[in-house]
Amino acid sequence: MTVLTATRDSRSARYRTRSRLAGLGRALGLFCASALMLAYVLGPVCWMVSSSLQSEAEITSVPPHWIPDRPTARNFLAIVERPAETVTYETRAKADPSSGGYIPSTARNLLPAMGNSLIVAGAVVLLNLLVGIPAAYALAMIRFRGRASSVYLILSTRVVPDIALVVPFFLFIRKLGLLDSLGSLILTYLAITVPFSVFILVSYFEGLPAELDKAARVDGCSRVQALIHVFLPLAVPALVAVVLFTFLASWNEFLLALMFTQTIASQTVPIVVASFASDFTISFSFINAAAVIAVIPPVALALLFERYIVAGLTAGAVKG
Amino acid sequence: MTEDRIGRSGFWFLASGFRYDTRTAWLFLSPVMAVLGAVTVFPILYSLYISFFSLKLTRPQRVPFVGLDNYLQVVQDDVFWDAVARTALFTVVSVTAVALIALLIALLLDQSFRGRRLLGALLLVPWAIPSVANGLMWKWIYDSHYGALNGLLLQLGAIAHYLPWLGDPHKTLLLIANAFVWKEVPLAAILILVTMKAIPADLYRAATVDGANKLQRFLHITLPSLRPGLMLVVVYVAMVAIRQFDLIFLLTEGGPAQASQVMAWQIYVETFRNLSFGTGAALSYILALATFALAYFIIRTLGQRL
Repeated sequence: MTVLTATRDSRSARYRTRSRLAGLGRALGLFCASALMLAYVLGPVCWMVSSSLQSEAEITSVPPHWIPDRPTARNFLAIVERPAETVTYETRAKADPSSGGYIPSTARNLLPAMGNSLIVAGAVVLLNLLVGIPAAYALAMIRFRGRASSVYLILSTRVVPDIALVVPFFLFIRKLGLLDSLGSLILTYLAITVPFSVFILVSYFEGLPAELDKAARVDGCSRVQALIHVFLPLAVPALVAVVLFTFLASWNEFLLALMFTQTIASQTVPIVVASFASDFTISFSFINAAAVIAVIPPVALALLFERYIVAGLTAGAVKG
Repeated sequence: MTEDRIGRSGFWFLASGFRYDTRTAWLFLSPVMAVLGAVTVFPILYSLYISFFSLKLTRPQRVPFVGLDNYLQVVQDDVFWDAVARTALFTVVSVTAVALIALLIALLLDQSFRGRRLLGALLLVPWAIPSVANGLMWKWIYDSHYGALNGLLLQLGAIAHYLPWLGDPHKTLLLIANAFVWKEVPLAAILILVTMKAIPADLYRAATVDGANKLQRFLHITLPSLRPGLMLVVVYVAMVAIRQFDLIFLLTEGGPAQASQVMAWQIYVETFRNLSFGTGAALSYILALATFALAYFIIRTLGQRL
């Protein structure tokens, strides 16, 4: 009896050590894999942030300082503080890029550009909701002739590459006299945002029970009332996703803005930031700071609303 | 209207109900159709129309009809075929790399461990970053005098002195592809992960009972079940890669010596630098058709084999 318990004890002890070892190995493996993934995903961004906090003297050291020795907010302050000082040949010579770090007078443009980006993104979001919600409701809840082909038509417009639209867009925008105006961006951004918005909303509405619609109608709601009072409150997650995607797409868009904007009257953040990079005399750390500023709003939104975004992105993925 | 309805037969009432719904449906759809018609359908048809004319902004008064000449002129030029080859290389490399890295990340995030949710959230960072910031970030990393890549490799002892990475025509396209892959991996990983989560646990349990080891389970259950997710990733990434413009513009402007001149960049140069809108439209039409064909081809062939 005692012998039996002893062997059983030692065997279970051996089993426990082995499983604990296996658990430890698994934890170690997961830890290493996670660290690798983090380094891949965040490494480049960390280097950008680190560069934006360095002085020109430090950023040009070889090999680079991964963590700034003397971090400075100078590059960020320049965007808000810089007085309206025009660059002449004299002032340009004084600010020798190799020694002092040259921050352009156009640094001031970043704030109005953020304003432009916000207006464009806000208008595009609103128009997407206005146009997308009724369409998605109709496609998901009403059976009518032409429904399937409408879905195909809307989805296929998403496959059209934006670069293929650039030539006709440019000619239209020029004809309408909208070159270098926010209107040109709002109008053309609809082409790249509306199909996806409708897609997300339709797949969400289709997941809601059709009985809801019938019940609302029996209770005397019109279609519009049913949509506003019954479906909109239920569709909040999908609406949040649409707002986020549309906002991010408009805030980040580069190609069309590059074609249609010329001055700060309509230039958005990506365009102003890119314009810094094409000037070789501008400090590297300042360019990185400008890039960081362009990155903060979309990344903050993405991290805050991570659940909605992942749910929206995967809306139709499993169905194929 | 109401009196009319009451006066008619029940059959008519049903029919009118259907018609009424169709009318409401189209009323609800009309804004979206108007918008998409104006900003997508009409422009793409107009683009086809322009592509039959010799429209040059350097000579705006004379716009002669030239038929298919723009297309012929483009297709007979080696510049075009070089761009096609580069675009194909860029697309194939990007799609492969994105699918592989995203699969690895999805496999990691499919495990349950502490911090997994945080990792999943941070994965969104590259996805959310504007392409401009992505381009400038990698340009700075690749910088030949002060870049992080040179610094890192020097500190690791892999290189003896700093190299001009983007200036090397053999490496440029692959380095740009790397920047592209970095930004596209998150979305791909999320799509693969959601497909992975949908695999029924019973399959794994049954396989384990049958004595399948981890690798066998991965090869015979996970991979085949991931087919729809992988398909979506391949089609999506291929379609974004084939039209890539932003990174080319920001990192190299097609250089050095046209080493990174892909199709989208050729369209830009033709249209906005040579101001030849007719050939530009022809080129963009070819790209649009190539995109459609690519999506179709991938779905037809890979869809059956994968």
